[in-house]
Amino acid sequence: MSAGPYNYSYIFKYIIIGDMGVGKSCLLHQFTEKKFMSDCPHTIGVEFGTRIIEVAGQKIKLQIWDTAGQERFRAVTRSYYRGAAGALMVYDITRRSTYNHLSSWLTDTRNLTNPSTVIFLIGNKCDLEGQRDVTYEEAKQFADENGLMFVEASAKTGQNVEEAFLETARKIYQSIQDGRLDLNAAESGVQHKPSQPGRNTLSSDQQFNKDNCAC
Amino acid sequence: METSDSECFESADEEIYTEKENKKSKKVASSPPPKDDLSKEVEDITNLKITESNDEQPVDLNNEPHEPAKATKIKPSKIGVKTNKSDNRTNSHSTMIDNKHIDTINVTENLEDHKDTPNEEVNMWDEDEDWEPIETKPEPPPPVSTNKSWGWDLSAVINAATVGVTTVTSHVSQGLSTVLETGIGAPDPAELARQHTQETETHNADDDSTQSTTNLFGFGNLVSGVTQITKLVETTGNKVILGGLDTLESIGKKTMQVLQEGDPGFKKKRALLNIEGEKPVLSQILREAKEKAEFENRLLEEQHFARKANYESLFDDHQGLMHLEALEMLSRQCSIKLERLTESRFGSELVELQETMNQIVELCELIEDEDELEDTSEIKEKLDSAVSEMVINISYDKLLTTRKEAEHWLDNINLQICSELELHEQAIDTLAQLTALAVERYHKIGELLLIKEHRSTADEADSLVQLTMILITLTGNMATKFSNKLSEKLSSSAHKDHINTLITNVYFESANSSSYLKNAFQLLIPVLQVGAI
Repeated sequence: MSAGPYNYSYIFKYIIIGDMGVGKSCLLHQFTEKKFMSDCPHTIGVEFGTRIIEVAGQKIKLQIWDTAGQERFRAVTRSYYRGAAGALMVYDITRRSTYNHLSSWLTDTRNLTNPSTVIFLIGNKCDLEGQRDVTYEEAKQFADENGLMFVEASAKTGQNVEEAFLETARKIYQSIQDGRLDLNAAESGVQHKPSQPGRNTLSSDQQFNKDNCAC
Repeated sequence: METSDSECFESADEEIYTEKENKKSKKVASSPPPKDDLSKEVEDITNLKITESNDEQPVDLNNEPHEPAKATKIKPSKIGVKTNKSDNRTNSHSTMIDNKHIDTINVTENLEDHKDTPNEEVNMWDEDEDWEPIETKPEPPPPVSTNKSWGWDLSAVINAATVGVTTVTSHVSQGLSTVLETGIGAPDPAELARQHTQETETHNADDDSTQSTTNLFGFGNLVSGVTQITKLVETTGNKVILGGLDTLESIGKKTMQVLQEGDPGFKKKRALLNIEGEKPVLSQILREAKEKAEFENRLLEEQHFARKANYESLFDDHQGLMHLEALEMLSRQCSIKLERLTESRFGSELVELQETMNQIVELCELIEDEDELEDTSEIKEKLDSAVSEMVINISYDKLLTTRKEAEHWLDNINLQICSELELHEQAIDTLAQLTALAVERYHKIGELLLIKEHRSTADEADSLVQLTMILITLTGNMATKFSNKLSEKLSSSAHKDHINTLITNVYFESANSSSYLKNAFQLLIPVLQVGAI
């Protein structure tokens, strides 16, 4: 046993958002455990998952915030967007309503994260082709119009799940390389080197926006 | 809404950035800059002792013989002169630029005929650091020998080189000095050109040096007693050449660097060494590799061990840190909401609001009590009754299970086999895990309270106080149990000091745990307050 797992250079914060029941927690579970969780309970507030990946030879720890989709938690989960480097916005290709709500999720994301946050649109449950309610083309068009990355994925089969998480990380990493993402900014969502366990989040207090309150 | 703020920050940043940029461009483009600015810059430069030659100034030297350096030294009162005159380093002379040069620049333009007369002795601007201000007295200009065609050709060549290798030289010389340098010394080339044309029109350029000198001298007197014009011209001529030489030197250095970096010769050298050296023995290579691997493994093991017993890292591993962070974010949102509410109220309303908020803080004061919590079912009962007052669906089963597992582990260890380090490690891990689980529960309580329809703040506060006390006691007891086990090893161990250190550490981390718990509880106070108003 080596200390290997702790040798990562960056921590990226992701947030997964989208309507209730679109499969956010299942996508996370598939990504971290490589298993499909068939009976997934409703998420309360936010739950977490982590996995260390490699991008361009750099080990990166993904710290994934899996939010509750239930409407009643919406105000609570809005508190958690801040400082996300990546946002995975999920809808269910078999339920049009979840697709229709995307613009509202997108508005939240844009308002509550910073401009360099990478937003990735995921059409989940693409294994259920027979029940498809949203075409790939229209979702692709929506993604293009809003400058989002997009794939259809299946938390059940695992199709495109890795890709979505990894592609987001690559984009973030690219932003760092290009200097578009300021590592020193409190809300960049990226920490260089393993964070010193401790209370580093308080430092962003001073910059916190007073206009936004989810309570 | 949040973005508005962050936008503010950004725009502020941008402003600063633009300001910087402006400053930069101002410096670079100041041609000629206002006198005050210039003198300030010159001062800065003097302080920095940046006395680079002007070979990087963005003047199109091919078109016009006028170059900024020529404008220097008219009023040399501020000129620092190297007292320690260097011997063979004449070509590294460089110039301190006088702040008055702008005033006199027009005068100097007509000196171009003489600028091609190199004269080493006038070069008092040495690159070295030891500067001394001197008063230079006006002197009659020495007769100037004309070697026009040669001088100009050479300087033109050098100038061309200078322009061509700006990139190279900027690598070599400091970027800062480049900026500053260009900032001071560089009049607009276009303007220079224009002035030059005017000058040549008015003055009949004469090859006769004496006449020209007299001419110029008179003119110089006319304009605010400017002297040493010839000297200046000579200096300028020198400077052109010297600057060129500097550049050549830079090119040479750079070339050597490049050659060495990508060098085929290096490979040759290596090949040479290999031939000369003995052929490596395979067994030796393998042995070395093995030793290296063993060393690395040992290092990794040590690191791993250090981490294994590190409370903070373990707390993070059990997701405590993330939940704490999320709890902080939640708490902050509530604080902001309360703040806005307070701001919007006045008079008696405000007093009332503040009273309510203070009452809640008072309700949340912890009473230290050292209850022994031995029995698991008793703890569970206490926890359940504490939680029930909050009327939210939350259970502490996971935490209780962890506690039970730890107790089970402690009951079954064989102290003969289990080392003190292992025991300590387990103690820290248990404490970190229990604390992480408790913090996670505080976080969940916060979320659930916020979505609760009918809040009962007093009950919630009471419930949380009880909970916190139970949890603090629980972790404290756990630490005591581990410490007791460690103490048992004291009698049989030769490393008593070491064990005592470990025991102290367990108690220390236990205190750490209770402060994490108290802190998490404090973070919930705004959540309670929001529910009360």
